[in-house]
Amino acid sequence: MSHFLKKMSRRAIVQALIALPALSLFRPAAADPDEIDPDEIIEVNGWILRRSDLA
Amino acid sequence: MIFDSYEAYKQADFKPKVCILGSGPAGTTVARKLGGAGIPVVVLEAGSREFSDESQDFYRGATVGDFYFDLDITRLRFMGGSSNHWAGWCRVLDKQDFEPKAWAPDTGWPISRADIEPYLREVHDILELPDFRPDVPISDDIRWVQLIKSPAVRFGEKFAEEVDRSRNIAVVLNTYATELAGDGRRVTGARLWSDGQDAGTFTADYFITCTGGLENSRLLLWSNRRSNGGVVPNANALGRYWMEHPTFEGGNAILADYGEFEVDASNEAFFSPTLAAMERLQILNFGIRLIESPYPNVKRLIADLACTAPDMAEWMSSQLDQRLRCAAQLYVAWEQAPLASNRIELSKADVDHAGVPRVELHWKKSPLERRTLLEGLRLFGTTMAQKNLGRVRIADWIGNGGDYPTNEETAGHHHMGGTRMGTDVLKSVVDANCKVHGMDNLYVGGSSVFCTSGQCNPTTTITALACRLGDHLGKVITV
Repeated sequence: MSHFLKKMSRRAIVQALIALPALSLFRPAAADPDEIDPDEIIEVNGWILRRSDLA
Repeated sequence: MIFDSYEAYKQADFKPKVCILGSGPAGTTVARKLGGAGIPVVVLEAGSREFSDESQDFYRGATVGDFYFDLDITRLRFMGGSSNHWAGWCRVLDKQDFEPKAWAPDTGWPISRADIEPYLREVHDILELPDFRPDVPISDDIRWVQLIKSPAVRFGEKFAEEVDRSRNIAVVLNTYATELAGDGRRVTGARLWSDGQDAGTFTADYFITCTGGLENSRLLLWSNRRSNGGVVPNANALGRYWMEHPTFEGGNAILADYGEFEVDASNEAFFSPTLAAMERLQILNFGIRLIESPYPNVKRLIADLACTAPDMAEWMSSQLDQRLRCAAQLYVAWEQAPLASNRIELSKADVDHAGVPRVELHWKKSPLERRTLLEGLRLFGTTMAQKNLGRVRIADWIGNGGDYPTNEETAGHHHMGGTRMGTDVLKSVVDANCKVHGMDNLYVGGSSVFCTSGQCNPTTTITALACRLGDHLGKVITV
């Protein structure tokens, strides 16, 4: 790793650090249990249910 | 007056202004209106007073396309017509059924529901109905609708005595009008078949065909061929845009409380979409009939739910212990898209005993209807879940895009279209007054004039249109 960093220019390292926060945009958002809508209507095995029915 | 044969009628020296073909709900209603207005009218009924296999045989035919009932089973050929096997369900087409829909070609009538509403009081008397209750919105998408189960009036039985007493109405039984002759402006006569043989030509000033939603097209197609286009001069749409109400079991529901909805005497409730939902999803009208399930079906349904939502199933199970009526079968009947390709043709191979080609019905359900079925059940299921009124399970074959079952109700025995009403002569056969385009003295009564089918049983609307036609002719015809 250190060998790799030594080969990079200082400018490239700064640009990489600036771009780091944007990487999260490409990561699938983890489901926040607080954000799941228990009243959402879903269709499972032909049943039309509320999400909370699956609890 | 009722005559059991054409021979007997001839001896009476009755001079009719109007000749009506067919004594079903449309024919009988128009005849009573005209007779009541002092206009002498003859009703030619091909059948007798009672059912007979010999008479029914004239109705045999063939179907090409989707599975459909035998054509000699789905209608009746004797006094009173198909009212003799009518179940009695009553509702008038919805206001929106008369309106054109941008997403469904060739929809829309040249009249609105307001044009037949003035006749509903008479219709209620004829069909022995209480007043209709307004629809009740259950959600933005679904409304409770009322279908009234009437005493199923048999027109032949109910009005036989009245007709027999009338000096202005002559019903002639066992007299089959095999064809009309016309010169492109007027019908000049009707060819008759009686007592197993040709019975000559019958003349009157006006003719009204009320022979049913299959037979009106057959009669006019055959007449037009024999008269070289002289009976229906603009025949592009003749026989076309035929419609039914496809009817299938669409799934099941478990209800929190069956008493949430108003049910009829048979413990059934009916639901339809709102216009907003139809517009949003670009679907047609439909009716979901909720029928209480037998107890073993309920247990099977809850067991199925337990595989998907165990807690919900357990709660339902506890409800079942307390209240046996908490599950239902869902039957769906839906509006069929008016397609020119759904049509009645004359058989090229088979004729009846009088030599008239039999019906060849070309009938297929469309992808728009399939989407209406699925989205309709989803709308109903979503409303039930959102309102916490119950839970719906859609039948596997619908969700999986499987074929229509062939062992279910299939359709309503409702024969609509073929001589549809309209202003465009290329897409319709009769005008807003049910007069055949281009003809001075030929009218059509019955559901063959329907432009769209809506979702409800047609007899109420047929009777209202017949009252309207009778009123119109009462003003047109001078005695």
